[in-house]
Amino acid sequence: MFQHVPRVRLVLVLTALAGAIVLAGCGSSKSSTGTTTSSSSSSGSSSSTSTASTNTSSCGPKPGQPATGTPINVGTIDTKQPGTDFSDGPNMINAYFACVNANGGVNGHPLKLYVEYDQTQPAQIAAAAKQLIQTDHVVAIDGVFDLLECTIDQSYWKSLGIYEMDAGIAPECWSTPNSSAVNMGPRYSSDGAVQYGLSQKPSKIVFVQSNVPGTGYIAAGPAALAKAASVPITELTENVPISDASSVALNLVDDAGSNGWVVLNFTPPEALVILQAAQKLGVEDRVKGWGCSTPCDTDFLAKALGPKWNHKLFVNAEATNADDHNGPEMQEYKAILAKYGSAVAGGVGSFSQFGFLLAKFFVQAVDTINPKDGYTIKTVNAAIKGIKDYKSEMLCQPWVYGNYSMHIPNNADFTVTPDNGKMITAQGCFYVSSNDPQIAQYRKLAGQAPITNPPTS
Amino acid sequence: MPSLTDLEQFLVTGLTLGGIYALSGVGMVVLFQATGVLYLAFGAVGALGALVAWQLTTSSGFGFWPAFIVAILVGGVVTLAYGMVFGPALANRDPLVKATATLGLTLILLGVMDLLWPSSGGASRSITVPTDSNTFNIGDISVTYTNVIALGLGLAIAGLTSAFLRFTKLGTAMRAMANDRDITATLGVPVRRVTAAAWFGCGLLAGLAGVLLGDLVALDATTLTFLVISTLAATLIGRLRSIWITFWAAIVIGVVDAELTPINSVSNYRDATPFVLAAIALFVLNRRAGISVGRQGV
Repeated sequence: MFQHVPRVRLVLVLTALAGAIVLAGCGSSKSSTGTTTSSSSSSGSSSSTSTASTNTSSCGPKPGQPATGTPINVGTIDTKQPGTDFSDGPNMINAYFACVNANGGVNGHPLKLYVEYDQTQPAQIAAAAKQLIQTDHVVAIDGVFDLLECTIDQSYWKSLGIYEMDAGIAPECWSTPNSSAVNMGPRYSSDGAVQYGLSQKPSKIVFVQSNVPGTGYIAAGPAALAKAASVPITELTENVPISDASSVALNLVDDAGSNGWVVLNFTPPEALVILQAAQKLGVEDRVKGWGCSTPCDTDFLAKALGPKWNHKLFVNAEATNADDHNGPEMQEYKAILAKYGSAVAGGVGSFSQFGFLLAKFFVQAVDTINPKDGYTIKTVNAAIKGIKDYKSEMLCQPWVYGNYSMHIPNNADFTVTPDNGKMITAQGCFYVSSNDPQIAQYRKLAGQAPITNPPTS
Repeated sequence: MPSLTDLEQFLVTGLTLGGIYALSGVGMVVLFQATGVLYLAFGAVGALGALVAWQLTTSSGFGFWPAFIVAILVGGVVTLAYGMVFGPALANRDPLVKATATLGLTLILLGVMDLLWPSSGGASRSITVPTDSNTFNIGDISVTYTNVIALGLGLAIAGLTSAFLRFTKLGTAMRAMANDRDITATLGVPVRRVTAAAWFGCGLLAGLAGVLLGDLVALDATTLTFLVISTLAATLIGRLRSIWITFWAAIVIGVVDAELTPINSVSNYRDATPFVLAAIALFVLNRRAGISVGRQGV
């Protein structure tokens, strides 16, 4: 039965298989210049379920009257795979659209969202874009929460005159004329986290992120900020999933030293294992402080870390904390989520907040179209491109699209910190530093939008 | 280059992970010996057990230790069920086919875990073994009792399994089946019972390893599922036969992997450690076997 030959063959085949898997998982080493995609999840935030009782009928022009006209087809492409599931974004857009459709729609036209999920395969993403345009006949791309989409489809959207609205990850979400994001993405969020760390006067910054394509592009921001502050910075990458968190945590602490500041740019599960490993090893206090980019802004993480990390970890937050803030717009968001958002698995949090904003801004934009002109790719995208100064309680600044070669409309942020299982605001809205040359370039093009959102009012 | 003290700290983490890889490797070797199946779903089964334990402790009011036992049993039951349903049908197939079939179980379990414990909305989970907070120092190095338990369990399970295979009737039957399943059956060995014991035992170890790795590495289905690679390398070095070579290989893999962390120039490549060590070991072993065969031929 178990003769020698099959066993040897099995061993050799499995060795080759294991080798192939390991080599495939092995990326480049540290700091290189920007390539394609980036790391970590776009956003991820907070909190508990809503008890909001706000009337949701305000989301449409005719309360209680369903829209019955021809639908306006909208498309989105989103990453959904084990370990990286951004479906809360499009699910929240669907919730908002359902609310609009139940209350008159857009001049009587219901909004229909076509969602294409991908597993970070470029060919699949390119095919999804063509499917949306050629088969589903969508007139706009709104609500892309994806690791790669901006990179893959930019030239296609440009050729069609489509201006996508997204909450992205890839550098092209911010650096191209046909994409504008409501979130900041990993680079500018890491900038914000490093900026907070620098304000605490550490002797050194250690910035670590997952070892995936695009890390050089992200790391360039924190490097520029540290250089401007004359603080040495070590930039590291770690292969994910992390298989030896204790070693990683030890290495970061040793590298930073007692007056150093460690900044993480990982998805919540990866950040959590590093922080927990530091705690289990008892080394969390061996550095001056810890920081993290937006993905750590989640109550899941605050709860899992426990009170030992209260006011020890400082996380960059791209949207208003839903626990801290309960203005009319936040109440509307929670009410729509409660009534129409049963598919939003994460509930209240920045994924669904960004979904809400992308849906709301889109509806505001198409509402400006004269119905006689029809809802075509041309008219709808002209309206999107014309978005200017859309204010929101959830962002520090008014949101804008505009005719720019790049778009970083969200460039002022908050800092939050764990506090007994919740993230609370530690620092109000602040501008991400223009020492990042990309931020400086955008502000030169579009100007510096004023901060209009007191964070804890 | 890191100092000697720095490296000593990494030794503890390496020995800890090595201990868990070792107990996992022992489970895989025993199962292979008894059934001819290389159980690639080991990590996924462990992940399932760990997530069940998390669920019980967070929302069902279970204490850690009862949930820990349930997790181990979940591993045992799932593995036994797979073995009893698919084992007989695949018994006479090539070992490669049997191993590939367990990948099917891996994918199913990954799908189920993603459905039951989704990662959308930034969800992250953790499980903490109570012994994490009990520490003692060796010089400047802090050691938790979980570290000790992980290494101790690896060592104990390797020792006990070795003795079991050598001195018990069931163990002898398992070893006999490794040589020839059909002849063993004709000698009156209850093949079905022996294989069931092997499946169940391997599953129990998967559940045990899953909870420990969930605490020490990450409570994430994908991460835990693919940690089987390190164990797989150790079992390959042991040529799917030797429990003690598998044990030591697992320890070496854990330690080398950890010690490479602070060396920035190679740190990003340390995940290749299991494969590199397995390739070197197999190269040396095959060379020796070749020399041995050559001499016999002369």
